[in-house]
Amino acid sequence: MDVLDQLAAVREGKLSRRAFGRSLMAVGISLVSIPLLPRRSLAAAEDHATYFTWGGFDIPDYFDEYVAKRGELPNFVTYGSAEEALQKLQSGFVADIAHPCLSDVPRWSSTGLFQPVDVARLSNWADVIPELWDVPYNLTEGKPWLIPFEWGQTSIAYRTDLFGLEGEESWNMLWDARHAGRLGSLGAGGDVWWCAAIKAGVPFDQIGTDAAFEKISAVLREQRPLIRMYTDDTTSLDTALAAGEIVATMAWNSSVVSLAAQGVPVKFARPKEGALTWVCGMMLHAEAPKIDSAYDVLDSLISEAAAVFNMRDYGYGGVNRKAFDQFTDADLEVLGLSRNPAEVLKAGHFGVPQTPEWDRRMTETWEQIKLGF
Amino acid sequence: MARFTGFQPHSRPLALYAALFALFLYLPILFIPLFSVNEGVYVRFPLEGFTLDWYADLWSREPLKAAFLNSLKVAGSVAVLSTVLAIPAAMAIARYRMPGKGPVVGFMMLPLVLPGLILGVALLTLLNRLGVTLSLVTVAIGHMVICLPYAISVLLPRLIGFNRSLEEASADLGENPWWTFWRVTFPGILPGVLACLLMTFTISFDEFFMAFFLSGTSQTLPMYIWGQLRFPQDFPSLLALSTLILLVSFLLAFISLRLGRVGQVTAEGRA
Amino acid sequence: MTLAANSPVPPVRPGAVLRFLHRNEAWRGYLLILPALGLMLVAILFPLGSTLMMSTWSLSGYEIARTPSLDNYAAMLGHPMYGVLIGRSLEVALVATAVTVALCYPMAYYVAFHVHRHKALWLMLMTLPFWTSYLLRVFAWKVVLGYEGVLNTALVGLGVVETPVAALLYSQTAVTVVLAHSWAAFAVLPIYVSLEKIDRTYLEAAADLGDGPWRRFWRITFPLSLPGVVAAFFLMFVPTVGDYITPAMVGGPDGMMVGNLIQAMFGPMNNWPAGAALSVVLMVTIALAGLAFLIVGRLVRRV
Repeated sequence: MDVLDQLAAVREGKLSRRAFGRSLMAVGISLVSIPLLPRRSLAAAEDHATYFTWGGFDIPDYFDEYVAKRGELPNFVTYGSAEEALQKLQSGFVADIAHPCLSDVPRWSSTGLFQPVDVARLSNWADVIPELWDVPYNLTEGKPWLIPFEWGQTSIAYRTDLFGLEGEESWNMLWDARHAGRLGSLGAGGDVWWCAAIKAGVPFDQIGTDAAFEKISAVLREQRPLIRMYTDDTTSLDTALAAGEIVATMAWNSSVVSLAAQGVPVKFARPKEGALTWVCGMMLHAEAPKIDSAYDVLDSLISEAAAVFNMRDYGYGGVNRKAFDQFTDADLEVLGLSRNPAEVLKAGHFGVPQTPEWDRRMTETWEQIKLGF
Repeated sequence: MARFTGFQPHSRPLALYAALFALFLYLPILFIPLFSVNEGVYVRFPLEGFTLDWYADLWSREPLKAAFLNSLKVAGSVAVLSTVLAIPAAMAIARYRMPGKGPVVGFMMLPLVLPGLILGVALLTLLNRLGVTLSLVTVAIGHMVICLPYAISVLLPRLIGFNRSLEEASADLGENPWWTFWRVTFPGILPGVLACLLMTFTISFDEFFMAFFLSGTSQTLPMYIWGQLRFPQDFPSLLALSTLILLVSFLLAFISLRLGRVGQVTAEGRA
Repeated sequence: MTLAANSPVPPVRPGAVLRFLHRNEAWRGYLLILPALGLMLVAILFPLGSTLMMSTWSLSGYEIARTPSLDNYAAMLGHPMYGVLIGRSLEVALVATAVTVALCYPMAYYVAFHVHRHKALWLMLMTLPFWTSYLLRVFAWKVVLGYEGVLNTALVGLGVVETPVAALLYSQTAVTVVLAHSWAAFAVLPIYVSLEKIDRTYLEAAADLGDGPWRRFWRITFPLSLPGVVAAFFLMFVPTVGDYITPAMVGGPDGMMVGNLIQAMFGPMNNWPAGAALSVVLMVTIALAGLAFLIVGRLVRRV
């Protein structure tokens, strides 16, 4: 705020214009040259890997093991949208670890920016639930591209006080014309297209056919006039649900956990047709500059403590089997989980990876539908 | 005031209009402090009880504090530097007959048209090829690029039609151009310079795309804030921080007002 | 930072350079503009060039095929979506800008002519709201405009409407309101700057000749403030056409603008060439619109 004081001084006549100009210049130069450079005290952080992740995952709670081993937290760079993150990486930004989802693996790994993970270097690997990573497209020469970190379901979150439920919970709730203009939806094709396939009754192994495309697009076009907002940011979605702006929306488990914690009467539906299961996790950069530290970060993120935190505080599924012992059956029920996670995974629908051509056609069709065409 | 004011008695309708305008500007802003002391996490009515926890929370949030300071440094530097670059450029555009001026001016307005996303991606690619390490300096450079069109456009109207006879008189009296600039031109365009500083600071302080693409491991405040969209739990602390920013800037404005009052007498003869 | 230190040919005697510059107006101008222009040249030419080049590429699978063609542009002609979105963007930007400039003019006028002390403070007061994050302001607007928001509650309470107006939020209206609010300070500043410089003796002279206040305003003040009005219009209109954050946050499905499609192309659709081509089309459209403003502005000033 020096500028303001200076201006006041000019008005008072205390400061000549020349002195004002000089100090303006000095302020500019010092502002730019001194504080913008990384401070020396931060030099130690150079020894740690950089974790490129969603804001909210950059917290010490996940890194007990890492800090115990290396004394400090790793470096974080956060984003609010995974697409922007990939754009930044594709433009040449290097972070040791990034945080996409399992369904992104074909596309992300095709960029050549990542390397498969040598799981022999992860001490907690044996406790990771295999169903979360052992799928063919996640493996190359037996090594996984993505190390799972959190998982959950895409289903319907609805206000029990505002939504008039008739009969069983079902995907039809998001096509309910009684609530036209008060329904919400996620925005990414990776969620919406698959959920629409469930609603349209298209089996996932046939999702690549032309007939499936027609059916799913028709269902989504039918839904669009009923929708108040398409968004991928949970904060906007949760706030809208809390404020009664919308009465039901496609959502992830975490929304319901945080809304319920605030006393909002809301329920995560178990649609009779089944929900969509998703997994997200970490990928290792092909040129990770701090590879040893990066492996310790990965190991810490799949630890029991990290999984417990994910389940208790964020309402996501944990990936470490041991974490489930810390919860009662009732707790797990509330989270939409069960003692045997594989059961939940089998009961839900798991996205089947498709070809790049399919991916392109799907996102293009979906984005056009969203825009009204 | 030595300035001519005779025709402009205090206008009541206009003052009322100014008050309504201020209401429109501040109405949504007032909800930020309101919800920053609300117990609930979500920005919605009804309110759920008073708390100062979100403010207490701020102190433990090192990344948030760091992001705020980073933004302050970047915006301060960007405001001063882009104004320093824009003054001569605007003078040249306003006053000198130069072949090719039209295209040059058009070119300098291009950052307004280029979507921030494209500019960010392309500049990051460029910096990478040049082998430049990303830091707050690269963010500041990116911000200067998008601020310059604004800075020049704000200064231009002031310089076009600027009464040059004073400058000519100063030159005739044998003053060198530099001295003439500081003694005659600069005081003349001071309101423009102030507007320019305010505008560029404000743009840089709230800019997201350049900051996201051009930053290394240190984040700016908008980056931090946009990063919080996945988890609503931290949202009220952001409201608390914004409230503090508002309070402190009002305080500073008030202080400068007091200082201005003291110096009023001296200022009158110079206005 | 003297002129001599900036001279392009250091070995020549400084005196000669100064004399040359003193005689040659154009070179003096170039020299003054050089620092800003230099930065722009480096920072803009590359993005612009790479966007133009990329717009001629195409995709095969996840890969980009670098054989130049105009297919991306041709595809745009064949689909009504592009025209509709660009049209809507121009409309929203035009309405929002016109409303904002019209609302800001009296405010700038008030500060320039009726505030005699602490003008700087007034300018500060108008910019301060924008030192809070845009995102937080959007959430505040949602509280005001929402279905169960402040405005709707008031309207229903006063009996103006029976049921809440859903179209206040997640609609084009919401986009216009939020844009007008976000840009208010940026529109006031240039108008204020050009009003402030008006030589008060002109007004004095007009009064001596018997002109009333309105006549003085229309004959002197308004024409002289036009450069500021044009600047404000231009500064807000141009970036607003390509905006996508505001429509994404408060626009709802029917408030989406062309910027949202560009964003989708660079993002989830992962079709950078098509996104680049659409950006080029958008830039050309805006440049044409901007040119039209300038021509109209110039004509108005001549009249």
